[in-house]
Amino acid sequence: MSGVDDLSFDRLDADGAIAESAERAGVVSRATFLGGALGGSLALLAAGSGQAWAQGGPSERDVAILNYAIILEYLQASFYTEAQRMKALRGRAADAAEVVGAVERAHVEAFKDVLGKQAAKRPSFDFQGTTEDQNAFLKTAVAFEDLAVAAYKGQAPRIQGSSALAAALAIHSVEARHAAWMRYLFGVQPASRAFDEPRSRQQTLRVVNSTNFITSSPSTQGRRTPRYTG
Amino acid sequence: MESEIRARTGAPAPSGQSGLPENGRAVVARRALLAGGAALAGAAIAGAPRLTDAAQPSQADLNALNLLLLVEYTENAFYAEALRRGRLRGEVREYARTVAEQEKEHLEFLRSALGGRAEDEPRFEFGEKAADPQAFATAAGDLEDLSVAAYNGQGTNVSPETLAAAAKIVSVEARHAAWIRSVVGQPPAPEATDTPRSEDQVLEGLQRAGLRR
Repeated sequence: MSGVDDLSFDRLDADGAIAESAERAGVVSRATFLGGALGGSLALLAAGSGQAWAQGGPSERDVAILNYAIILEYLQASFYTEAQRMKALRGRAADAAEVVGAVERAHVEAFKDVLGKQAAKRPSFDFQGTTEDQNAFLKTAVAFEDLAVAAYKGQAPRIQGSSALAAALAIHSVEARHAAWMRYLFGVQPASRAFDEPRSRQQTLRVVNSTNFITSSPSTQGRRTPRYTG
Repeated sequence: MESEIRARTGAPAPSGQSGLPENGRAVVARRALLAGGAALAGAAIAGAPRLTDAAQPSQADLNALNLLLLVEYTENAFYAEALRRGRLRGEVREYARTVAEQEKEHLEFLRSALGGRAEDEPRFEFGEKAADPQAFATAAGDLEDLSVAAYNGQGTNVSPETLAAAAKIVSVEARHAAWIRSVVGQPPAPEATDTPRSEDQVLEGLQRAGLRR
């Protein structure tokens, strides 16, 4: 991909961890990864914060959607990061966690860039042991990725700004790749039906809450304890 | 050739279709959604929703849906030929069988959504890509990537209702891409985002894949 801009990449990947870990996993060259991260819509989303949205920034509705998305990205990024740190994964699952974790962290940073001070804070998580065992990890990863696909799909038609929409779509299909990848590693069919259904915000949050993975939620006021609707 | 295709997909609606209600886009898309949800999960049903039954869709939606139809024609023809030529084995064959069925549903969905506005199926020459298992796997991954990029590229051109319908398909295309790459040990998701492609880029990619007309 041409037009790689190291300055922008530095903003997305300050310590070079994304490109490095993708490369270390033997999955992709640094150049390819740079091209993907920058040539794609994350750059577009970031650019939108300074240009396309110069007049007034994203709409109130889009800010709410992006903040909902960033919570899902925090959840995924923290999950993969912790799984890596626990060193409980082997072989291809370990490689996948490294690459997917780096990508989810890049998504978080991109949303933070756009939202600036309006960005929701990272909640605290307790993954209930699912990052300490390969089988539990894969099962949870499949659930997270399928959920993320459905969640983005539910929001895309509601997004008002075109750069926010382009970025959401460009992330949505990557989450679907992750879902298929994790399903393959877990041994279930990567694409089990012809049409993927969306989930509303309410449905998605109900699923997230049922996991008890979020132990504190600094971005919501007046409800510090998660609702366990399991 | 490309400009011919563009001219065709961008052609104005037949005169017989004009004079329909102005709120066509929403109606079209709602029908498309209905079709995607229930009716099209099985086979094409007599009287299945058609965009042209009651309203005139926007030209932007028609253009987008016809470009995506061309992508689905290509995928359908590719998988059908690969299965017919019969050299796929094991996981690759299982992939091709499953995906061929899903692409058939996508094709039926788009044809039904477009109704009388649907473009005819073009000709294809896939050559060795539809026979040799290794060449097939690489070509399938590339074609699925192209499909994802085509849907993502059109996502910002269409009405929210059409987008909602197309979004149910694009993530399945992305799953296919990651699946076949996993099978052959290539990176299933090497990038942080899937770059959208324009109509011209998609047509160029389809021609590389085997589209001939």
